[in-house]
Amino acid sequence: MIRLQDVSYVRLGTADLVGATRFATNYLGLELTESVEGAAYFKSDEREHTLCYFEGDPADHTAAFEVGSRDELELAARELERLGHSVYAGTAAEAEARKVREFIAFKDPSGNRVELVVRPAYSGRRYHGVRDAGISGFSHIGLCSTDPARDELFWTEVCNARVSDRIGDAPLLRIDEVHHTIALFPSAKPGIQHINHQVETGDDIMRSFRFLTDRQVRMVFGPGRHPTSSARFLYFEGPDGMVFEYSSGVKSIADELLYRENQYPFEPKGFCKWGAKPNISEFQK
Amino acid sequence: MITIEQLRYVRFGTADLAGATDFAERILGLQLIDKDEDQAFFRSDYRDHTLVFVKGADPSGAIGMEVRDLETLDQAASLLQSQGYCVSRGDAAAAAQRKVKHVLSFSDNSGNAFELVVRPLQSGWRYFASRDAGVIGLEAVAVRSTAIAADEKLWTTVFNGCVSDWVGDAAYIRFDDSHHRLALHPSGKPGVLAVEYGVEDVDLLMQNSYFLRLAQVSIMDGPGRRPTSGQLFLTFAGPGEALFSYVAEGAKIAKGASHRPRQFPKTRVSFCCWGSDCHVPEMS
Repeated sequence: MIRLQDVSYVRLGTADLVGATRFATNYLGLELTESVEGAAYFKSDEREHTLCYFEGDPADHTAAFEVGSRDELELAARELERLGHSVYAGTAAEAEARKVREFIAFKDPSGNRVELVVRPAYSGRRYHGVRDAGISGFSHIGLCSTDPARDELFWTEVCNARVSDRIGDAPLLRIDEVHHTIALFPSAKPGIQHINHQVETGDDIMRSFRFLTDRQVRMVFGPGRHPTSSARFLYFEGPDGMVFEYSSGVKSIADELLYRENQYPFEPKGFCKWGAKPNISEFQK
Repeated sequence: MITIEQLRYVRFGTADLAGATDFAERILGLQLIDKDEDQAFFRSDYRDHTLVFVKGADPSGAIGMEVRDLETLDQAASLLQSQGYCVSRGDAAAAAQRKVKHVLSFSDNSGNAFELVVRPLQSGWRYFASRDAGVIGLEAVAVRSTAIAADEKLWTTVFNGCVSDWVGDAAYIRFDDSHHRLALHPSGKPGVLAVEYGVEDVDLLMQNSYFLRLAQVSIMDGPGRRPTSGQLFLTFAGPGEALFSYVAEGAKIAKGASHRPRQFPKTRVSFCCWGSDCHVPEMS
């Protein structure tokens, strides 16, 4: 079993690095920590970076998860190869570009690019964005899945994820006490479906809703509240159509033995208990 | 000093009683309690009614406030008269029409109509509306004022109101432990600006926000949060000139607490710290 400790970062290709950087800092509210030839790194919490935009194909998305040790990384590589996944061991230079000690890369059954990393860099300096978005950290990702039932098995049997709730066939998966760190949504092609940052309060959600609306950022869902995780949310569109989410008040699942997942309908009311309707294709029938 | 026990009702005149009734029930989510050819009563809580629409009466509205007993009502009458206010005692028919024992009407310096009532009717039956708007009761009334200093003085000297906060010259006045029950907003004309109903929590406020949008009700202000009272609010158009609001959460100021009224600048952020759109001139 591959024991995922946390989601570490996402890497997104872009044809317009300057535009993506402007969005990530001025609109999304992240802090630009490093700008190198062809890539920009952004910070959202105590970690050195949680988002990297690089010059490349906008459909090129990678999500990275932390594993506990080098031994676990090796075990994971062997397990993945045994199951028929092709595993790529990152070079030292590639690891440095990801600010991790070591990593391996593979594709999940849908074809999503996933990296397992050891010792991702933390930072001694706290996050301070250019605008007060109230971000408390990068928290979870939605992944596109061409077969959510099959992929649920991969993340829960091969990896250590547990199902916290399902919306239709879309599972919300936890790897620690947070209600979900990975969510799988039905789609025709792989890729990162949305990127979530937690904000401190519901007020931050509403302030950002006004702030971003005033700047003509396209709102795609919310403000609303998830019946599943009880988090208040706002989804909006960033560069290259990537959906970003702010949320606050996500449920914590402390009792692994007593918790039972619930089934919610794959309809607007399964996604929002306030009455907001999603304008996100993966959240619609 | 006359103690106001609580807000009791707001009475609005209307030329379209059927339309106003439809708004109060279907949109606002109140319970129709009593109806005849000329008026319709709506319940929002344990009070028999907190909203009345009357065919043809003054559309700017009259605000009903309860005082303890007949003696207090008489004191109020003489105190108001000694300060130069014109008061009029309602007869038995006027009291019966309002479901109270005694009623005394007067206008503030702006011309806003108020009614002091004794022994207003309570209900043994709880509020049960056809739509689950989550209303928990009449919370406050905002009125326009053309003589803001004199009106503030009326409520804080003749009556037991205390200013909780100011935004510019707008005054939030409390009579109990709620941040305010009466808000006075400087304006070019008098009249009820908004009738505010409390809802259970933020979920109900936002559910109502989506409901109203779907029902094509014109949202005038919010959803937002008031930095003064800490309340969440959503203000929308009613059948007449007066607006209606849902409010939730918000600070309490305990009786005897050492709260000092704070002066906020007359800017938009003093009315909403979320940055919501506002179409109410008094709060823009």
